[in-house]
Amino acid sequence: MTHPEMNELYELYVLGALEPELASEIDSHLADGCEYCGERLREATLAAAAMSSMAEQVEPPKHLRDRVLASVRPRKQSSSPRKQLNPWLYAVPGLAAACVLLLAYSLWSRNTAQSLRDRIAVLTQERDQLRSAVEVLSRSDTRMVQFGNNNAPHGRVFLSPNGGVVFAGSQLPQIASDKTFQLWLIPAAGAPRSAGIFQANAAGEFVNVVPGPVNLTDIHAVAVSVEPRQGSPAPTTTPILVVSIG
Amino acid sequence: MDGQSEAQLGDKLRNGDPDAIAAAYDLYGRIAYSLFVRITRDHSAAEDLVQELFLRLWNRRREFDAARGAIGPWLLSIARNMAIDYLRSAQTRFQSRLRPIDQTDTLHFSYKPNDPEHLMDAVKAVQAALADLKPNQRKVLELAYFEGCSQSEIAVRLKEPLGTVKSWMRAALERVRAAVKGEAKP
Repeated sequence: MTHPEMNELYELYVLGALEPELASEIDSHLADGCEYCGERLREATLAAAAMSSMAEQVEPPKHLRDRVLASVRPRKQSSSPRKQLNPWLYAVPGLAAACVLLLAYSLWSRNTAQSLRDRIAVLTQERDQLRSAVEVLSRSDTRMVQFGNNNAPHGRVFLSPNGGVVFAGSQLPQIASDKTFQLWLIPAAGAPRSAGIFQANAAGEFVNVVPGPVNLTDIHAVAVSVEPRQGSPAPTTTPILVVSIG
Repeated sequence: MDGQSEAQLGDKLRNGDPDAIAAAYDLYGRIAYSLFVRITRDHSAAEDLVQELFLRLWNRRREFDAARGAIGPWLLSIARNMAIDYLRSAQTRFQSRLRPIDQTDTLHFSYKPNDPEHLMDAVKAVQAALADLKPNQRKVLELAYFEGCSQSEIAVRLKEPLGTVKSWMRAALERVRAAVKGEAKP
């Protein structure tokens, strides 16, 4: 396909409405890193997002905002007012008991559902990370650098300009619960660039996946430092690990 | 919200500030909910999906690059995929055709905040363009967007020749494309 031919297909491609054989052809072309088509793809993604305006606008229920916020603040109490008890509950003890049982069951169900939702969210995140890792490891432009030995932090770094970075290994030291490890890409000149924060498990094993295109042309090393839990815009401690990838 | 404040929202999000989710919800909650309702036709499912959408945004906040990112296009791309997945979860053939969420993420992260084609401007422009579409042009666009139908499937659904459907689709997308770019289309 020529560029003018592909030009008319990107919106359909983004919507997943293109015939599979044409979509595969565009996949291959994009994998070659065509800048023009990358830009067209960005425009098409924006157009596709704007097409959501075809949906009739519906006001979400007021409680939904609280529900969404509660899901990211699981320990915070809900701000919604407590429901007033029906006077009949006091007048009819049997009914009250039934209501209490029903309420208890409802709370139990809700907590169970919330717990399942949280678990699903974690699993979804892990699945997404795994997909990204497989994407990096399977690319033809990926190179691997091994570092360390058995008595110290050791592992492998996989780097792909188009796929991203996978940094995996073991024997990182234990750190305080309010700290995190942060990975840095070290250019030959200029400031280190953050490549994400991550935690190691009790055995010091870790995997950090940085999906998406990464500029690796001037990167000569990767480094790990210990930072405050939310990460830092620039390293605030001496790196505990530096891996040359020159 | 302009590019700068989108970037600030991205910074807050990446720094783990839960207020970022409140701000993102205030910006995009209504449009996402409307999209879920339109696709699932189920208000209860739409509520669940909205919650999952913003939870997903929160859980993936560390991947967000505030210097380059805009949240809206990413959020709405994910929302559409989630809603269609919800509808067709049993149809694996369809799942394999939707763009993987990871790829959508990557696209999102390459937006520049100063792009003039900001999402809300684009939404308004596309809304205006859609009003001018002929009914058959709008119909094919809706089937592709809300139901994820390919052009062949649309031809079967509408009992029209594939070439006709492609022609309607091309005309509709030309208008959408021109609207997003801020070009007037007669």
